[in-house]
Amino acid sequence: MRINVTVNGIAYEKDVLENKTLLRFLREDLGLTGTKEGCGAGECGACTVFFDGKTVNSCMVLAVEANEGTVETIEGESTGGMLSALQEAFDRHHAVQCGFCTAGMIMSARELIHHTPHPTVEQIQEGLEGNFCRCTGYEQIIEAILDVTGGYTAKEELIHV
Amino acid sequence: MIHQFSYTAPTELTDLLTLLETAGSGAKLLAGGTDLLVNIRNGLVKPSTVVDVKRIPEAHAIMSDNTKGLRIGWAVTINDILKNSEIASSYQLLQTCAHDLASYQVRNRATVVGNIVNASPCSDMAPALLCLDASIEIASSKAYRTVPVRQFFTGVKRTILEPDEMVIGITIPIQSKGTKGKYRKLKRIQGHDLGIIGVAVAQVGDHLRIGVSSAAPTPVATGALPLDISESEAIAAVDALISPISDVRCTKEYRRFMVSEFTRRLLAEVRS
Repeated sequence: MRINVTVNGIAYEKDVLENKTLLRFLREDLGLTGTKEGCGAGECGACTVFFDGKTVNSCMVLAVEANEGTVETIEGESTGGMLSALQEAFDRHHAVQCGFCTAGMIMSARELIHHTPHPTVEQIQEGLEGNFCRCTGYEQIIEAILDVTGGYTAKEELIHV
Repeated sequence: MIHQFSYTAPTELTDLLTLLETAGSGAKLLAGGTDLLVNIRNGLVKPSTVVDVKRIPEAHAIMSDNTKGLRIGWAVTINDILKNSEIASSYQLLQTCAHDLASYQVRNRATVVGNIVNASPCSDMAPALLCLDASIEIASSKAYRTVPVRQFFTGVKRTILEPDEMVIGITIPIQSKGTKGKYRKLKRIQGHDLGIIGVAVAQVGDHLRIGVSSAAPTPVATGALPLDISESEAIAAVDALISPISDVRCTKEYRRFMVSEFTRRLLAEVRS
């Protein structure tokens, strides 16, 4: 089926197999490999992207469903080679180790901040409950989000390193 | 995914129902896809056609009025329920259960109707809908019927739906407006997880109802119980309803114990 889809502001017209997931379409057809495939079953959140303004697990969306829709991925997060404030906070707080979950984490964090500009730790935990990280233990990720939303109060830098 | 299928997304309900009649059991309806696409991927379901039901505008409607109550269209998502202010003020139990369903991203896609049609014993929305005495609207190209949700489930992953039928809406009667209730789900972790068991206790008008998930082949609920029912009588009423099994998550004895325990705790919370 031929689909028209806007990804990170760029309009694409592509032929795609009906059984291809949005995730595979992004990675294989558009070369946007920042979005990762973890479990493929909606558990781990590594494949989280924005679809029509809402975060979804792109492993559980068909590419054909995105026809006439808009998608935003991690590749659209920075502008002109400059990291977003959220990305910089992840960098500053060492919220990235292997990096596999990071694209999805950033997407979920962005959605959370959009709805809750000044989240509490509990709200962050809930906002990220669909994103698994096996490296960091989440503390650094929570700190990064607190930092970018003005809720970070730690006295010293790099407390987890 | 290895399995191949055709995809269609009708924009009129009549077209959708006609399609369902022609394709019969070879067609699978795609709403949130959070069960269907995983099942196709795992080879558990092999549809010839996937019919996307979300392109019909009325599918997304949440309507509330003072005579008919609340009506939820067939593609209303769990997060639509959580963001609706009318539901927050008048049908709070729906939000309480919705809040415990999976993760944020899944709630952006998963639908209330899908959660019911999937007929998993661990459905999180079913305890609320059972307590609120919801009706399920079912349509085919030839007929329309409304069935109380307590008659909808017939077994594990089984419902009364015929192959040419689909659920087009859920109605919560006006009598259930203002229901106060609590839902608690026993999980292995604090984050999102399938429930080991779940219990909802609701004060609906002048009586109580208690709904349970993951403790019988289908979600179950008591009938109307008197408001002043004793703790032991309430626990006995729930205990008589359930028939838990032992599985990878826990034993049937533990399930039965925790259903009683959650009933006791929630009863106290709802009454306080």
